[in-house]
Amino acid sequence: MFGTLPVLLLITLLVFVLLHAAPGDPATMLLGQENTAADLAEAKRRWGLDQPVHVQYVKFVLSAATADLGRSFRFAAPVKEVIAERLPATIELAAFSILIAVVFAIPLGVAAGARPNSWVDNIGTSFGLFGISMPNFWLGIMLILLLAGNFHLVPSGGRSTYGIAGPSQTGFYFLDSVMQRNWAALKDAFLHVLMPALALGVNMIGILMRVTRSSVLETATEEYVVTARAKGLTERIVLWRHILSNALIPIITVVGLELGTLLSGSIIVETVFAWPGVGSLLITGVTSRDYPLVTGLVLMYTVAFVTINLIIDALYAFIDPRIRY
Amino acid sequence: MQPKFVVGASIVCVLTVVGVLSPWLAPYDPGKQTLEAALKAPQWFGGANFLGTDSLGRDILSRIIYGARVSLVVAFAVVLISGFVGVTLGAISGYFGGKIDFIIQKLVEVVWAFPALLLAITILAFLGQGLFNLILALVAQRWIQYCRVVRGQALSLRDRDFVMATRALGASNQRIIRRHILPNLIQISLVIGTFSMASAIISEASLSFLGLGVPPEIPTWGTMLADSRSYISTAWWLALFPGLCIFLTVLGINLLGDAIRDLLDPRLKRTVKG
Amino acid sequence: MNRRQKLLLTGLTALLLITAQARPAEAQTRVSIGVTETMETYNPYGDSVSLLYGIWCQVMGCLGTYDFDKGDYVGMLAERWEVKDPNTWIFYLRKDIRWHDGSPFTADDVVHSFNRARNDPQSKQTQNIAPIASAAAVDKYTVRFTTKQPTAPLLEYLFDRLIITNKAVYEKYGAEADRKYPTGAGPYKFKELVPGQRFVIAKNPDYPGMKQLTQAPDEIIYRVMREDEQRVTALLNGEIQIAQFIPPHLRKRVESDPNTKATTVDSVEIMFLAMQPKPPFDKKEVRQAVCHAIDRDRIIATLLQGLAARLDGPIGPGQYGYDPNLKPKYDYSPDKARKLLAQAGYPNGVDVEIQTPVGRYTLDKQLNEAIAQMLNGAGFRAKLLTPEWATLWSNVQAGKTPFYYMGRGSIVDPSVALSQYFETGGSPRIGYSNPKFDKLLATERQTFEPAKRRKVLAEAMSLLTDDAPACFLWRHKMIYGMAKNIDYKPTPSGRIFGEDIRVLK
Repeated sequence: MFGTLPVLLLITLLVFVLLHAAPGDPATMLLGQENTAADLAEAKRRWGLDQPVHVQYVKFVLSAATADLGRSFRFAAPVKEVIAERLPATIELAAFSILIAVVFAIPLGVAAGARPNSWVDNIGTSFGLFGISMPNFWLGIMLILLLAGNFHLVPSGGRSTYGIAGPSQTGFYFLDSVMQRNWAALKDAFLHVLMPALALGVNMIGILMRVTRSSVLETATEEYVVTARAKGLTERIVLWRHILSNALIPIITVVGLELGTLLSGSIIVETVFAWPGVGSLLITGVTSRDYPLVTGLVLMYTVAFVTINLIIDALYAFIDPRIRY
Repeated sequence: MQPKFVVGASIVCVLTVVGVLSPWLAPYDPGKQTLEAALKAPQWFGGANFLGTDSLGRDILSRIIYGARVSLVVAFAVVLISGFVGVTLGAISGYFGGKIDFIIQKLVEVVWAFPALLLAITILAFLGQGLFNLILALVAQRWIQYCRVVRGQALSLRDRDFVMATRALGASNQRIIRRHILPNLIQISLVIGTFSMASAIISEASLSFLGLGVPPEIPTWGTMLADSRSYISTAWWLALFPGLCIFLTVLGINLLGDAIRDLLDPRLKRTVKG
Repeated sequence: MNRRQKLLLTGLTALLLITAQARPAEAQTRVSIGVTETMETYNPYGDSVSLLYGIWCQVMGCLGTYDFDKGDYVGMLAERWEVKDPNTWIFYLRKDIRWHDGSPFTADDVVHSFNRARNDPQSKQTQNIAPIASAAAVDKYTVRFTTKQPTAPLLEYLFDRLIITNKAVYEKYGAEADRKYPTGAGPYKFKELVPGQRFVIAKNPDYPGMKQLTQAPDEIIYRVMREDEQRVTALLNGEIQIAQFIPPHLRKRVESDPNTKATTVDSVEIMFLAMQPKPPFDKKEVRQAVCHAIDRDRIIATLLQGLAARLDGPIGPGQYGYDPNLKPKYDYSPDKARKLLAQAGYPNGVDVEIQTPVGRYTLDKQLNEAIAQMLNGAGFRAKLLTPEWATLWSNVQAGKTPFYYMGRGSIVDPSVALSQYFETGGSPRIGYSNPKFDKLLATERQTFEPAKRRKVLAEAMSLLTDDAPACFLWRHKMIYGMAKNIDYKPTPSGRIFGEDIRVLK
């Protein structure tokens, strides 16, 4: 575990410097095409953009220390609010991707690892390879073409159809529809998240399958497993109770490691599917040079990243009693 | 020889050959526009354009062949440069320790916690369009993989007997690093390198897809995919072939990487994530 | 009664209930529209895109709008207007309009709106009232605007742009008013806004005339869908009923589906190639060579599938001051281009870098790839760059882009746009300076007599076309996809008003 605070500071500094060094600023990007140089100058003055960069940075840091991330220029609302409004969408998407990955990859990986070099193993390994080699945005495009365009099985994009669900209470459409017992809304939310989650999760399916397989392979030769087998326990019990629970550690490691890639991948998948999460928000922020929004988002990503890693560490201790800090 | 190695190596070889020999292999000039012959479907069985034409009447097959060049250049350049930077910094960091190690490690942490795509996007927004800028943006996140692993190895090697002996004999630090520590790291760098190449190709495609790639006169698979976005339903070949190429290339590289890893050291399976 | 009778009774009751329900309550008609521009804030003064002006005009209210069918400005909240003296405009407001909370709409609200457009910290609309020095309420239903200088094209600034909002509500609740108590005076009411995703409005039956428009949709949902393919798929799936701005190559897909149809309308956005007067474009011959080098008809026929109208001059039919006989007209002639280049001192060609945005205008990247190739065939050595929009736009605004492709939309009266791009000191975007042109523009601004003004405008535009600080290329034809049961004629400005939509059964 590293000292998080200096890292956070350095990261925000990096983002600030890069964004400010790039041509463009919020005033230029957001005023209409009919504006004059005078309007531009006035807007810059009003929004504090004419002050030197280091002054702007210090101001940001000071207010961030009080948990105030500033106001987004584009959305004319506090950054915290803008992020909070779209964060549940990304979390739902990521959660579904992980769910899909786990549901597909782990059984496949276990089956493959339990019978090395069989046809099951070959299929599984190929699957794994395909998964990690697939460019996720290309898969997304192909899915839209086939499932939405040709077969009309799922909607073309977005998160929900207007008018089916009631007003959102938690921001998580699945939770909301269950709480409100609105099953049409649940189905609607599910149909919308299916394609993006598939596209986002495909790489993870590959990696998870491969890791599960190799983990099962290794555990299968461990002493206590051999002992259990010798004791006469059925193959199934041996598999599930001993092998899997020990294989969980690398699996959790991978999920934790891949969460970073997932957050990164959500940027492009959300753009392709017009999914209103923080990934597409980030693109919006960078292209309109919305400094507070982008800096706030980067902070959020970093904090999320660090927190997830802490949780993963804690999970280790929980699963394997041999590891205790 | 293992089938993995054969298949993977063949794909990589084909890619290299196509990339190097593109001017001779491509049937047409990839930039030649024939506006009246736009959006023609692939003509498999005889016909002017084997894989069809794009919205400006350019031959898709030729563009794919030339696109292999860019993928090749980007992949190799990114891996070599990030490998060089990462290994060097990692070796220095691990060997010298102390303040130098601290600073370099902090840098690694900052880059590691930054979402990869975002770092590339902001760097490109700052630097502007261009092949070299693209390579730089991709290198910026990748060197840390090498740095970490190498640092670990350097740390453990530093205090081994033969190094101490060499130092006692009066060899300079630089010589020690170069002669004794680095060679041990080649193996692991090779494995990291192959997987890194695969991800570099995908990242280049992603960035081009988002409109941050190279200027239009250089055809790349990623830009071809980006251009195909609003033609998916009317000209499916525009999206299928570039994507397929990226997929197959990455697949081949991953196969090769797997095979190399199995070959070199089975124990490496633990330290390098699959 | 026995079992059989009970059963019969239950059956009859059930039948009665079912048939009673079967008579439908007035079904709410709902029209979803897929749009490409995005709505980001609750503050009516916080956005400055064409779509939002149109929606806020419907929900809050605008003084007037330009009616393309009539070819003239018509009033919405204003009944009529007059120019008392060159710097004074009087607007007489309608007396029968009420805010959605019941209070009467008055001149004080207009003055308040003017102040908000100018002073609201989030305002991105200060340029719409730039020529106005002050606003005052003469009496309950009369407003006086005083301009800084005589400004004949004032309506181009005000109509469809200045959003009228409620003074009393704002004074009571402050900045929260926009979000929590959106109170408008328009034919539609604010229902829901999710920034970046959708804007929902509902018919206001109390607005004069709305009750009679039974076929106008009861609810309109503007949904942001930037991807062309997604918009078209959504239209064909029935997720939306109107899809804005369909690219030419997707029109067939919309037309061949039995449930949808496509309609086209000329856009008022002009597309041009701007050239800064720095070498090599400081020489008029080089600029004219560019105009001759591009085969616009061929590009329109192939890439745009005929769905654009060539521009011979800054504006086209339907725009104020259009002269079909404007000279000079640039024909496609690479030979002429080469000769001009030689005249200018570049007998062996010249290197230029042309820049274009990507995905901002219809087929912008492809069109410019074709343009670059055509330039190469006429003696230029053109390299095409496709920078990110933020980079390109900032550089253009700062005057750092020597040669670029751009559009300028919402042009009804060209005076404002011409001044912005081509008048000395208008903006650094091109940096062109021609005293003769400046004088003509200043004259037309102060000429209130229409016939005279048109003549001066035509002269100015002819001068501009000849001097060619920009090559005027084309105006796209905008394609709208619609469900077959929707009757709607799109406007050239791209604004969608609910009163114009008819939902047929």
